[in-house]
Order: sequence, then structure tokens, then C-alpha cells
Amino acid sequence: MIKPVPDRDSAEWWERAARHEFVVQACGTCGTLRFPARAYCARCRGREWHWREVAPAGRVVSWIVNHQPFLPDAPTPYTVVMVRLTDAPACVMVGNWHGPAEPVADQPVTVSYTYVDERLSLINWEPA
Amino acid sequence: MRGFCDRTAVAGVGYTAFSRNSWVSTLTLACEAVLAALDDAGLTPDDVDGIATHRVGDSAAPSVVGPALGIDAPAWYLDQFGGGSVSHAVIGQAALAVAAGVAETVVCYRAVNARSEFRMGGTGRGVPVSPEVQYQAPYGYTAPPQQYAMYARAHMLKYGTKAEHFGQLAVTQRANAVKNPRALMRAPITLDDYLASRWIAEPFRLLDCCLETDGACAVVVTTAERARDLRRPPVLISAAAWGGGDSFLSGREPADPTVTSAAELAPRLYAMAGAGPEDVDVAELYDCFTYSVIVQLEDYGFCAKGEGGPFVASGATAPGGALPVNTHGGFLSEGYVHGVNHIAEAVSQLRGDAGDRQVPGAEVALSTAQPGYILPATSALILRRG
Ligand SMILES: [Zn+2]
Repeated sequence: MIKPVPDRDSAEWWERAARHEFVVQACGTCGTLRFPARAYCARCRGREWHWREVAPAGRVVSWIVNHQPFLPDAPTPYTVVMVRLTDAPACVMVGNWHGPAEPVADQPVTVSYTYVDERLSLINWEPA
Repeated sequence: MRGFCDRTAVAGVGYTAFSRNSWVSTLTLACEAVLAALDDAGLTPDDVDGIATHRVGDSAAPSVVGPALGIDAPAWYLDQFGGGSVSHAVIGQAALAVAAGVAETVVCYRAVNARSEFRMGGTGRGVPVSPEVQYQAPYGYTAPPQQYAMYARAHMLKYGTKAEHFGQLAVTQRANAVKNPRALMRAPITLDDYLASRWIAEPFRLLDCCLETDGACAVVVTTAERARDLRRPPVLISAAAWGGGDSFLSGREPADPTVTSAAELAPRLYAMAGAGPEDVDVAELYDCFTYSVIVQLEDYGFCAKGEGGPFVASGATAPGGALPVNTHGGFLSEGYVHGVNHIAEAVSQLRGDAGDRQVPGAEVALSTAQPGYILPATSALILRRG
């Protein structure tokens, strides 16, 4: 697994994910929710913001079933799912699929955390 | 906005051989393609006062290639970061420099050992630095075919686009490559061959994917006036456009994953050329993957949104169809030089020297860059017989 390399914008988001806090940024001026983490709001260009806990839930936008061993230590096949967040429909995340069957379009899903170590949990997805 | 429409021209194109291992440096490849393009134009390095490329840290810089060819103190140069999405922007920026009188003769190149040295997508080298990578790589989502497959499935779900549509495109482009002596893949394929090819990342099979290629390609840009006095028939740059668009991870709007940045760029491009999709005789559309062509057929206005698959299945993109596409075989079958071999093929079609691949009477060509799924930018050119 390639461990994420947090940057100065995202470090706290990853720390919160490690505590299983599911957050996005909320603009302090116009309220727009955004992910990934960064300093300015793309809508109003405001720099005030705070973390907003949102439901760890969304719907399936698309998915792939990966067969080619692009990464030497990732056993294939594995499924990567793209999810649009229920509470923040402008925000999309990708993660691995922890479902008993292949996802279907628009399927409601919920977060399934994968513990890696004290400082890192990955956000994966399973059927709601 | 007619911009610098028809004020500049492509005066020459040049290639190295395409292979899976060039056994030489990207500097050598760049020099070979640049010299070939200059020779095609009837020029030498002494005539060059501008030099440009695009790269992602995987190739020789203009500041190295220029001195290596004795191009001393060029008046203008460009070292554009980026892969396929900026390929046509480099030519556009060269044309802009020429139109502005900053340089008179610019040579643009792309030189890659994309199979033997630096493979795209995290195999054989470090993961490219982009803020989005940290949210994707831990999940094994690192390679362009995975990303394009994700969007291709979204299109299939929304519009009913089928594997057979992707397959028909791959089969048609291979048939074009059979007629192209430069092409790496010249054995004909059938739809059954396509369907039987192994999975890479569902819904993509091996034959949905471009070739990983070692090679280089170069293009000489000069004024339209000067081009008329040179060795080959000039091909006018009627329009060049490049620009941004929302990234799917930009978090600004609920993005539609079935629409690319090309939809935003196309009106500006056509306006500068004073032309529309109905005027285009041949199109070289960025085909890093089959789906990339299908979505661009829609976003550049050749068919309605969602109709790209049936448009291909109708034979419209085959030789003799309403819009022959990727007449050289494209990145799927000729080779993959990150956009520049599309421009060179368009030039060849408009000069009328494409041999067995020639689209009869081709006067206007569209050539496009990666439509913006991976970096939220794209670029394109409309070229016209001079
Ligand atoms: Zn705001």
C-alpha cells in the first residue's frame, strides 16, 4: 500500500480520519462544503473555514475492478469505488470496496474504516 | 474572437521511429525529431529562434536540447509542465509567440521513453506530485487507465454506452494503422479480439488502452507568410485554444463525470477558426483510451451528448465516414507521443501526403489533447490547408 503523504493543507484531515472523524471543510463565509482540504473557498474566495462533521455516507458514482498489477504489493483483482457524499454532494471520494458483490449505480454506501496504524486509517466503503 | 487565426502555420513535422525500447536518451530522441522536422520544412537549427516542449520530469528540457543542437540563445522558449492535456497548448503558445513577433521560427517537440524508462502511472518511478494523489494512491488508484475506466463506466451507466462501442473504435483505428508504416501495431483485429483481450481495469480491456511508446515527434511553427516560401505546403493554424475546467475533486460544483473540459473549450476554439464541427474533414482525437474519443465526439459537437458510442458504431469515424478519426491509428495503434503525433498526422492529411490513409480533399482538421479528466485542463488546434 502506498501510504498517503499529507501536505500542510491536509495533515489535520488525515489526523481526524485516523480518529474516525468524517469531516469536510465548511466555508466560514458562504458555507460551501469542500474536499480535499485547502485554504481558500473556490466559490467566495473566503479564507475562514472550519471542519464540519458530515454523515459518513454517500452514493456510488462509478467503480472499476482493477486487474492489472500496477502496484507490486496490491493483490488483484480489487475494486475502487467513486462516491458522492450525501451531506456534501459537491464532494467526491475514492476508496476500496468492501461489499459482498459488485457495486451498482447510485447504491447507498457507508464508510468502512481500515486501520493501518495509530496515525492512519483509510476510508473505504461498504453497502449502507 | 478571431485571435491569431491563420497568421501562423506548421511548416514541418518530424518523427523518430516508434518502439518499445529506443536504447537512446530522450535528448537523442528530441534532437532527432527536431532535425527531421526542420529538414521537412527546409530549415536548419540556425533558423530557429524558439524552442518548446511539454513534459513531466521525464524528458530533456528545451534548455538542454537547444544547446545540444547549437541553437544559441533562442529568443523564446517554453518548458511546459504537463502530459497529454497540454500537448496542443504548447503549439498554441508557440503560434502566439510567433504571431506576437517574439519569435519567428519555433520548434516544438515531445520526446519520451515511455516504455523503457518512465512509464506513466506509478510503475517504475515515483508517484507524480499532485495534491490529489494522497487521496487516491492508498486505494490502488494511481494509473491513467484506472481513472479513465472510472469515467467510462459513468458514461456507460448514464447513456448505455457499450463495450462493443469501445471495441468498434479500437478495431477501426487498428485498420487505419495497418495502412501506416510508422505504426507499432499493424496486425488487423476484430471485435472478438477486442472482447477477448484481458481486463486491465474493468470496464477497460487491454485493447482499450494506448501503447506505451519510446519515440519523439516535432513540429515547426512559423508565420503563415514565411511558411509559404518553405519546402512543404503550409498548414495554417486557424485556431488554438487551451484552458481549464473543474477538476472532479475541486469541490466547486457537483461535476458531471461524463462531461470533459473540452465542452467548455470547444466554443472558443470554433469561434477563433470561424468554423464549426460541420466544417471538420478529419479529426485526430486524443485517444489515451477508447472512451476518450467517444466523449470528445460529443463534447466537440460531432454528435449529441451520450451518442458517442452509437456514432462510432455507425461507421461515422471510419475511412469514408462523415468524420474519419485517428487516421494514423492513434495512440491505440500508431504509438503514443503525448499528443504531438496527432498534430503531425493532421498536418500530413491537410498536405495531402498521407498515402493510403489520405482523407480525400481534407481541408480542415481538428486535433485535440487529453480532454481534462486527469488534469483539469485541455487544449486543441484547428488546422487548415494553406
Ligand atoms: Zn465561501
